[in-house]
Amino acid sequence: MHIPDGYLSPQTYIPLFGVFVLTAAVAVKKVKAEVSSRNIPYLGMAAAFSFIIMMFNLPIPGGTTGHAVGSAVIAIIFGPWAAMLAVSVAIIIQALIFGDGGITAIGANCFNMAIFMPFTAYFIFKVFNIKTAKKPGVTFAAFISGYLSLVLAAILTAVEFGIQPLIASTPDGKALYCPYDLSIAIPAMTIEHMILFGIVEGIITASIVNYFLKTEPSLIYAFRKRAKNE
Amino acid sequence: MENKIPSYLLKPTSSKPEPGKVKGARLSFLDKTIMNSASALKSIYLQAENASKEKLVQKINPHIKLILLIYIVLIISITRHIEAQVIISIFIFSLYIIARLKISGVYKKIFFLATIFGFIVVLPASLNIITPGKIIFNIITINKPLHFWIYTIPRNIGFTENGFKVVLLIFLRVLNSVSFAMLMVFTTSFPAFIKSFKILGVPDTFLMIISLAYKYIFILSRTIEETYFALKSRLSGNIKSGRIRELISGRVFFIFNKSVIIYENTYFAMVSRGYNGKVLLHSQKKLTAIDFVTLIIIVASGLLIIYL
Repeated sequence: MHIPDGYLSPQTYIPLFGVFVLTAAVAVKKVKAEVSSRNIPYLGMAAAFSFIIMMFNLPIPGGTTGHAVGSAVIAIIFGPWAAMLAVSVAIIIQALIFGDGGITAIGANCFNMAIFMPFTAYFIFKVFNIKTAKKPGVTFAAFISGYLSLVLAAILTAVEFGIQPLIASTPDGKALYCPYDLSIAIPAMTIEHMILFGIVEGIITASIVNYFLKTEPSLIYAFRKRAKNE
Repeated sequence: MENKIPSYLLKPTSSKPEPGKVKGARLSFLDKTIMNSASALKSIYLQAENASKEKLVQKINPHIKLILLIYIVLIISITRHIEAQVIISIFIFSLYIIARLKISGVYKKIFFLATIFGFIVVLPASLNIITPGKIIFNIITINKPLHFWIYTIPRNIGFTENGFKVVLLIFLRVLNSVSFAMLMVFTTSFPAFIKSFKILGVPDTFLMIISLAYKYIFILSRTIEETYFALKSRLSGNIKSGRIRELISGRVFFIFNKSVIIYENTYFAMVSRGYNGKVLLHSQKKLTAIDFVTLIIIVASGLLIIYL
């Protein structure tokens, strides 16, 4: 899911970086309003947790192991705005220190994994309209939100890849950035995320949310917010 | 003297399950997680060690380094000629020599990333199915072209000259971007580098979050490593995947709780030092002649590459 440098043209990464900056500004205000002066250490902790969650490998049915992107579970536990900032910070640190994801692609990666994915996951989790914090319903909702948010984010990433040959090619048809057009990028990204990575994300999201639910449901933002509204 | 040790204690034991009896998941996920956390710790240590060296590149002001990072990465991104990318590669490599970094270790990681993202993923693009052009290496010839939905497979399938050029361009772009970013970051203290983002107008609050997160990652990575070594020493044989998922979810929950404790301690420590919710990061050391000379040389080299 991490787009490296060299895959996206400036026509793509500059506008996406703009969207990221604007959304981050709104997110800082929203989170400040929720956690007041604690916002800095709180978000620092959330960002570190978001980074750390990607380290956990879990066995997946079929004999393999995998790790999650984590945006869905972070959105359910911390809320979508805090998740947006937390995952963005994790992506920035990954790009700068670990070389995961490009510097020019920071805006695009944040747009896909820190804006689109957490908000989609949180929305899907809420759509299931869980009235009570009962285990089977919450587990299913968490699985679906993890699964669908990742698959949809993968399709979004595929669209960003797939439009590159259309907007940046030489007159003789040589691609200057990602060489795969929409007819290749979308099926390739969608299929692998539908049959493998989406399931991994779903299982990990469900397992972690399930554990939180069993141990201390009040830590889950979605439930905390509902209790506040009631 | 008669041996009084019970016979069952004298039997050799193995932590490995008997072949053919493993129904649950293997324990490779433990090693993978330990490797992930160890790799994070190693990168953080390496970064701190390299940044503290008193060499020329390390002495350059972080503000200048940030400007150069953005400038060079943008040039790498817009440069369309393979020759220009090769010149950039040589230029960056010479900067590594000047910085006296452990080149073999850093380039091993750079080539690993560039090979995966810049070569393996884009290699199919060198086929005429994706990049049309003159075939220079034919792989297979079929009886007639195949048409399927929106896809067409030509009679001759092979690597094209244009295709190789596309792959080489992307490979060099990934290689150059990763190597230059690592050079800038690995020769600068991370908090100082993050502070330099102030010149781009990034709010102090956001920069403080990144700095704190970086420190938390270091602490939590160590915790994961210790927790997993403890877990590994206690697990053997058949364990159902479901049980393992529960165990790992428990570790995630533990890490979450640990994160909350660290965050609260940090918050109280900040409050006790006068923190009231507002952050003001202090500006860094002043620019020197080395900074201006470096800036002029690299900006001029960049412009030369664009017009090449």
